[in-house]
Amino acid sequence: MIHQFDAIIVGSGGAGLYAALEASQRCRTAVLSKLYPIRSHTGAAQGGIGAALGNVEEDKPDWHAFDTVKGGDYLVDQQAARIMAEEAIQAVYDLENRGLPFNRTPEGRIDQRRFGGHTRNFGEAPVKRACYAADRTGHMILQTLYQQCIKNEVAFFDEFQVVDLVMDNGTCKGVVAVELSTGALHILAAKAVLFATGGFGRMYKITSNAFANTGDGPAVCARRGIPLQDMEFYQFHPTGIMGLGILISEAVRGEGGILRNRAGERFMERYSPTLLDLAPRDIVARSILTEVRAGQGIRGDRRIDDYIHLDATHLGRDTLMRKLPDITSFCKTYLGIDPADAPIPVLPTAHYAMGGIPTDIHGCVVRDGAGTVVQGLYAAGECACVSVHGANRLGTNSLLDLVVFGRRAGRHIGDYVQQAAAPSVSEADAEPARSWIARLTDGRPGPHGGHILEDMKLVMMEKVGIYRNAADMQNAIDTIQALRERYRTVRVQDRSKTFNTDLLEVIELGNLLDLSLVTAVSALNRQESRGAHSREDFPERNDTQWLKHTLAHLEGDAVRLDYKTVDTSIWEPKPRTY
Amino acid sequence: MSKSIDLTLKVWRQAGPKDKGHFETLRAQNISTEMSFLEMLDVVNDQLTLDGKEPIAFDSDCREGICGMCGAVINGRPHGPLKATTLCQLHMRHFNSGDVIAIEPFRAMAFKVIKDLVIDRSAFDQIIQAGGFVSVNTGGAPDANAVPIAQDQVESAMDAAQCISCGACVAACPNASAMLFVSANVSHLALLPQGQPEAARRAIAMVREMDRQGFGNCSNETECEAECPKSISISNIARLNRQFYRASLASSVK
Ligand SMILES: Cc1cc2nc3c(=O)[nH]c(=O)nc-3n(C[C@H](O)[C@H](O)[C@H](O)COP(=O)(O)OP(=O)(O)OC[C@H]3O[C@@H](n4cnc5c(N)ncnc54)[C@H](O)[C@@H]3O)c2cc1C
Ligand code: FES
Repeated sequence: MIHQFDAIIVGSGGAGLYAALEASQRCRTAVLSKLYPIRSHTGAAQGGIGAALGNVEEDKPDWHAFDTVKGGDYLVDQQAARIMAEEAIQAVYDLENRGLPFNRTPEGRIDQRRFGGHTRNFGEAPVKRACYAADRTGHMILQTLYQQCIKNEVAFFDEFQVVDLVMDNGTCKGVVAVELSTGALHILAAKAVLFATGGFGRMYKITSNAFANTGDGPAVCARRGIPLQDMEFYQFHPTGIMGLGILISEAVRGEGGILRNRAGERFMERYSPTLLDLAPRDIVARSILTEVRAGQGIRGDRRIDDYIHLDATHLGRDTLMRKLPDITSFCKTYLGIDPADAPIPVLPTAHYAMGGIPTDIHGCVVRDGAGTVVQGLYAAGECACVSVHGANRLGTNSLLDLVVFGRRAGRHIGDYVQQAAAPSVSEADAEPARSWIARLTDGRPGPHGGHILEDMKLVMMEKVGIYRNAADMQNAIDTIQALRERYRTVRVQDRSKTFNTDLLEVIELGNLLDLSLVTAVSALNRQESRGAHSREDFPERNDTQWLKHTLAHLEGDAVRLDYKTVDTSIWEPKPRTY
Repeated sequence: MSKSIDLTLKVWRQAGPKDKGHFETLRAQNISTEMSFLEMLDVVNDQLTLDGKEPIAFDSDCREGICGMCGAVINGRPHGPLKATTLCQLHMRHFNSGDVIAIEPFRAMAFKVIKDLVIDRSAFDQIIQAGGFVSVNTGGAPDANAVPIAQDQVESAMDAAQCISCGACVAACPNASAMLFVSANVSHLALLPQGQPEAARRAIAMVREMDRQGFGNCSNETECEAECPKSISISNIARLNRQFYRASLASSVK
C-alpha cells in the first residue's frame, strides 16, 4: 500500500512529536511509530530539562553552553551548543504555556535543581539549572506534545515499524514500514522524512533503555549509504539498580545523595574534589568501576557486576516523597528497600548514545565532512548527532536537545516542503524489504535470534564498555562479525502475519548488529581517551590527532572511516578537570 | 530468597479481533520467584516457540511502570493483586507453587482485542483529540514566570497528570467507564492557569467523546481508583463532574 504525505516523522518521542507539531502547522504530516506515541522512551526521563532561567540562582545561557562543551570533552560543535543553550529558555516557557506542570519555587516561579556538570561562571560551582516536574519530566513532556499534535490533526500510524528508506539519486523519497497488526508492508512517500527513533542501549547487556531502543533509524540510514557520526561515544549512567540496569536518576545526587564504597567512604572526594558526586557521568561511572576493580565495591570481589551504594537516607522521607516519588517506589518495587532507610545498590548502566545520524543545526542530515546535505532527509533527538553532546552528554541536555532541535527540524521541514517536488514511488521500492522478510519467514530451519542477541550484548558490555583496549575491541569485532555471519541464516519461528513480534525482533537484532559493528570499529580506531571513550592503552586526550568527529560508513561487512572537523570557534579546548 | 515454582496458567487466546477466543491451559514450570510476571511469560513463550506453537501476544516496553504498554487482568484484577503497580512490576514472589493463574486482556467494548492479550486503546486518543490540550497560541505567550503558580496547585495537577493511559481503570470498572482517565486529563489542565480558560469546553467535549467511543457511565463504583497503578484519586472525577455540570448549565447544551 502506498501513502503520500508532505512530511513523515519516524518516531513519536519528544523529538518526533515536537517536529511533527511544528511541521503540521505548515504541511500534511504523518507520524509513524512502532509504539503508541505516549509509550515512547522519552516518558522514562526522570530528572529534568536544562535551561538557564536563573530562577533560583544567577545563571546565563553562555555558562550553560560552556558546560555543555566542556562536559562533551570539547568534541561538541560550539555554535550548536550555544544555540541550544539560548533557545532552551523559550523552549521551557513554550512547554509550560502548553500545560506542562513544572515544580514551583515558594514564589510560584518554575523551580530548578542541580544536575551533574552544570556550573555557574564557567566551572566555579554547581548551579541549579534543571527544570523538572517531580521525577516525571519526560512523561509530562510527552503528554503535552502529544495533546498538541492531536489537536493539529497529525496523522498517526501507530505500531508501524520502519524497515527501509527509499532513496533516489541521493534524495530521500520516503520509507517502507511493516504494520504490526497485519504484517502488511506500506510505502510512505514524502518530500521530507525525519528520523527520531531514539537510542540503542539494547546493544549492551545492562541498560536503562527499553526494549524498543534498538537504533532502527541509524541502522536503516547506514545501510542506505548515510554515515554515522561519533558512534564510539556511548554513555554509561553511573547509577543503575544493581542487576537490572533500571535507572536511578542523577536527581537523587542532585538533591544531595552520596556515593559510598564498602568502607562507607565518599570516594568521589578523591576523583572530583569540586563537583564530588555531581561530576559528569563518564567520570563518575569510571570512578565507580575503579573502586570496584580495587576491591572497594560492596561485595569486594572485584567482579564487573560488583556494586557500590547510593546513600539518600539523610535526605529524609519527606524530601524523597515530595521530590523523588517514582524513584522511591522503584526501590520498593524492585529491591524491596526504602531509600529513606537503606542505601541503594547501584552500578553503571548503558544509557545514552552521543553518536548517531549526522545533522546540521536545522536537523538536515549531512553525508560527509564538508557538510553536504542529503535532500529531504532529517534526524533529531537521541538518534541524531548535531553534535551538542560531543564525547559525553550532560544530564538534562537530552530532553533539551529533543525540544530545541526537534522544533528546528520541524520548522525547516515546513519551509522545505513548500518548494520540493512530490516524489514518485512504486511498489518496487518495497522489494528489498519484501524479499528480506520473505526469506526470514520461509519456514526453513535456522537458528533463533535470541542467542545471537545475548552474545552480542555481552561482548559489547565486556569489551566495548566503560574501559576499553585494543585487544578487547578487536576480539569484540571478530565476535560481532561471526554473529553477523550466523544472523544470515536466522529464521523467524513464528510465521503468522498478524502481530508477529518475533519477526520484528529479528529485524531489530539485525539493526543492533550493524550498530555494534560500527561502534566497535569506530572505538578501536580512536587512539585516545575522551569523554565516555576511555582507553587503557591510550589514557590521554590527544587534540593534535583526534580533535575530530568520526564518520563511519557501513559498506557491507566493512566499515570505512572518515572525519569531520569540530567547531571550536568560541572556547579553546582545555584539559577537563572538575 | 529465590526459589522455583510451578504454575498452571489459563491464558486467553484470540487469533484476531474477529475470532471468538478461548482460554488455553499452559504450564509454567521452574519459574524463579525473582522473575517478573512478564519474564515468566517470556519463558512460557520461548517454550511455545520451541514447540512450534504460537507465542502469547502481549504488549510491554519499558518494564519499569512508566510507559503504560503492559496490562492484563490477572485472576480478575487489572495489573494483578498488588496495589499501585503495573503488570511489569509484579514479581513472581507473590505467587506460590501450584497456583492457577487466569490471564485475560483488559476487556471493554471500546478496547478491541487485537490478539491474545493485546488490545487497541486508540479510543483514548480520540478522547484527547476532543479537547485534552491547551490551545493558547504560544507565539507571543508571556514568560511562564509571569504567572506565578503555587507549588501545591502544581502538585495536584501533577498527581492527575501521572496517568499512563494503560486502561486499567476501564478494565476495573463494572460499567467499563473511562471516567478516571478523562477526569485525570481534565484535572491536570484545569488546575493550571494556562488550562483554565478552556476548562469547561474541554470537560464537555471529552465526556461526550468518551460516550461516543462506547465507554460506560460512571456510577461511583470506585474500583478504578483501587486498581490504578498510579493511584490516581477519584476526587478527580468529582472535580470533572463539577466542571461538567457547571459548563452544561452555562452553555445550555445538553
Ligand atoms: C531512564 C532514563 C532517564 C532519562 N532521564 C533523562 C533526564 O532526566 N533528562 C534528559 O535530558 N534526558 C534523560 N534521558 C535521556 C532521554 O530521555 C532520551 O535521550 C530521549 O527521551 C530520547 O528521545 P527521542 O525522542 O530521541 O526518542 P524516544 O523517546 O526513545 O522515541 C523513539 C521513538 O521512535 C519510535 N521508533 C523507533 N524505531 C522505530 C521504527 N523502526 N519504526 C517506527 N518507529 C520507531 C519509537 O516508537 C518511539 O516513538 C533519560 C533516559 C532514560 C533511559
Ligand atoms: S511495560 Fe511499561 S508500564 Fe509496563
